[in-house]
Amino acid sequence: MERTIAWSLYVAAFVIAVVVFIAGVYVGTILDKSDIQTLSKEVESLSQDLATMQLLYLIDDNSSAFCPLYESELSSIEEKREKLGYELTFLEDKRKIEAPELKKQYFILEAQSYFISKKLKESCNDKTIIVLYFYSNKNCTDCGRQGVDILSARDTVATRNIKVRIYSFDGEIGSQVAEGFMRQFAVSQYPTTVINGDVYSGYISKDELIEKFSK
Amino acid sequence: MELIDILNYSVAFFTIYTTVFFLLLFFKYKKDYYTTPKWSGNTPLVSIVIPAYNEEKYLKKCLDSILTLDYPREKLDVIVVDDGSTDRTATVAKEYEKYGVRVFSKKNGGKGAALNYGIERARGEFIATMDADSYVTPKVLKELLPYFEDHEVMAVTPAVKIAPSNSVIREFQRIEYLMILFSRKLLSYLDAVPVTPGPFSIFRASIFKEIGGFDEHNLVEDQEIAMRIQQHNYKIRSSVSDDSTVYTEPPDNMGDLLRQRVRWQRGGIRNYWRYKFMIKPEFGNYGMFFIPLNFATLSAFFIVLGLLLNAIFNNPFYTRYILLESVVMSFNMFTVIGVFVLLMSFVWLYAAVSSFKSERIKLRYILLFMIFYWYLMVCYNVLMAVAEIRREKTSW
Repeated sequence: MERTIAWSLYVAAFVIAVVVFIAGVYVGTILDKSDIQTLSKEVESLSQDLATMQLLYLIDDNSSAFCPLYESELSSIEEKREKLGYELTFLEDKRKIEAPELKKQYFILEAQSYFISKKLKESCNDKTIIVLYFYSNKNCTDCGRQGVDILSARDTVATRNIKVRIYSFDGEIGSQVAEGFMRQFAVSQYPTTVINGDVYSGYISKDELIEKFSK
Repeated sequence: MELIDILNYSVAFFTIYTTVFFLLLFFKYKKDYYTTPKWSGNTPLVSIVIPAYNEEKYLKKCLDSILTLDYPREKLDVIVVDDGSTDRTATVAKEYEKYGVRVFSKKNGGKGAALNYGIERARGEFIATMDADSYVTPKVLKELLPYFEDHEVMAVTPAVKIAPSNSVIREFQRIEYLMILFSRKLLSYLDAVPVTPGPFSIFRASIFKEIGGFDEHNLVEDQEIAMRIQQHNYKIRSSVSDDSTVYTEPPDNMGDLLRQRVRWQRGGIRNYWRYKFMIKPEFGNYGMFFIPLNFATLSAFFIVLGLLLNAIFNNPFYTRYILLESVVMSFNMFTVIGVFVLLMSFVWLYAAVSSFKSERIKLRYILLFMIFYWYLMVCYNVLMAVAEIRREKTSW
C-alpha cells in the first residue's frame, strides 16, 4: 500500500490546540490578577485594624490596665500580618508574580505594627523579642537560608514560651520605610538581623539565633 | 522563562494537541465509524487457533461460542493447542473432538510458540487467533471477512469488549477496553493500527509465510506482529460494529490485572524501541505520528511525574504557616492549563465511550475511572515496567 501523511489534520489540530492553549493562558492571567486583588483587600483590612489600635493607644495613653487587651489585639493583628507576608512571598517565590507596590504597602503595615509592638514592650512590660530582618531577593546568596533559620529558631524557642515577632524588609524594592529602618540601624549588607535593637550583619546560624532569643 | 515553565507548557500543549487530533479524526470519519464492508457470500475456509495454558475454567465457553458461529461448520477448522497445561484444559478440549475440533498438546513454550504451532497445522485461507478466555458473538466472521476483499488487507481486528457487570473494577476495565477500541478504530483511518489483539483477530494465512509467525520471545506478541505487518506496508483494519463483538474475560483480581498491564507496558516499550527505525515518511502516519507519539507520551509521563514531585517536595519552608492558602494560591496559570488538559481528556474519554451506542456506562463510572484508575494505573504500569525492563523474562 502507498502510505500517506494526513497533513491537513495535523495542521488543523495544531491550530485548534493553540487556540485552546491561549485560552488557558488567558484564564490563568485573570486568576493571577484576582490573587493580587485579594491580597490588596487583605492589606486594606489590616491597615484599618492597625489604625484602630493606634487610636486606642492615643485614647488610653500609658494606661497599663489595658495591656491585656492590647496584647490580644496585637496578637490577632500580627497573625493576619504574618499570613499576609507569607502569601506575598509565596506569590513572588512560587508564582513569580511581582507586586512591588503591594509589598511597599505591606512594609508600611509592618512598620506600624513594629512601633506598636515596641510601645507595648515599653508600657506593658511585654517580653516579646522583636526582630527586624533585612534581605534582598536580588543580591544575597544567604538570605533564603537566613529567612528559613529565623523562622525555625522562632518555632524552637516558642516551645520554651519565648515569643518572637519578626518584621522582614526587602531592602531593594525602593520602599522608603525599609530604607528608613536601614538608615536607623546602619544596615550595610544583606542579610542583616536586628534583635531587640542589637544589629547582626551577615548570616547567623539557627543555633546562634536560638541562643540570642533565649538570653 | 525557566526550564520548569517550559516543561509545564510543553506537556500541556502536547496533551491538548493529541486530544484535539483524535477528536478531529473521530468527527471526520464519524459517518463511517460503524460501517463494515458488505459480505459477498463467499465462505472461505477459516482456521481458528486457540492456544490454551491452564484454561479449564473458560475453554468450554470459548469453544461453545465458536461452534455456534453463523458460518458453515465445514468451513471452520478449529485447533486447540494445549501449551503444557497442568489442569484439565486438554480433557475439556478433547470433549470437542467429536465436533471436529483438532486438539494438540505440546510442551509449555509460551503463547507465541503455541500460536505458531497451531498456525503451522492450520489449513484455512484465513487464520483467526483466539484467546481461550474469550468468546465470540455469532456474526463476527461474516462481519470481519469482507474486509479482506481488499487484497492489501492482511489482518482485521474485532470489537474486543468486556461484558457488563456489577463489579466496579470490571466496569473500569470495560471502559478501558472501549477506549482502546475507539483509538484502534481511529488509528485504522490513518493506516496505523498498532495491535492485532489475541481474541479473534483474523489474518490472511499467506502473511505468516511472507513475514513469519508470532515472535515467540515477545511479551506482547499480538502487538509485535501488527508492527511487522505495518513494516511491510500492509493494511490492518479494525471493526467496532456490534456484530463484530468478541467478549474477553478480564483478570479476576487486582494482582493479576496489574501484572498483565505491566507486561503490556513493558512489552510495548520494548517493541516501540525495536521498531523505531520506522520513524520515516515512507511509513506514513504510522512512522511519523504513531511511533513518535508513544515516545512523546512516555517522556511526558516522566516530566509530569518530575513536576509533581518537585511541587510536593520543593515547597518553601514558610508555606507550612499558610498551608491552605498556599494550596489555594497554587491554582495558577499552569493549574488552569492543567484543568483544560483534564477537561480535554474527559471529553475524549466520553467521546470514546459514547461512540458505542449499544454500550451503556454510567457517567459516574467514567469520572471515577478517570480519577482513580486511568492515571494511577498508567503511573503504576510505567514505573513498574521501567523498573522491570532490564529483566528478559518472557512468559504468559
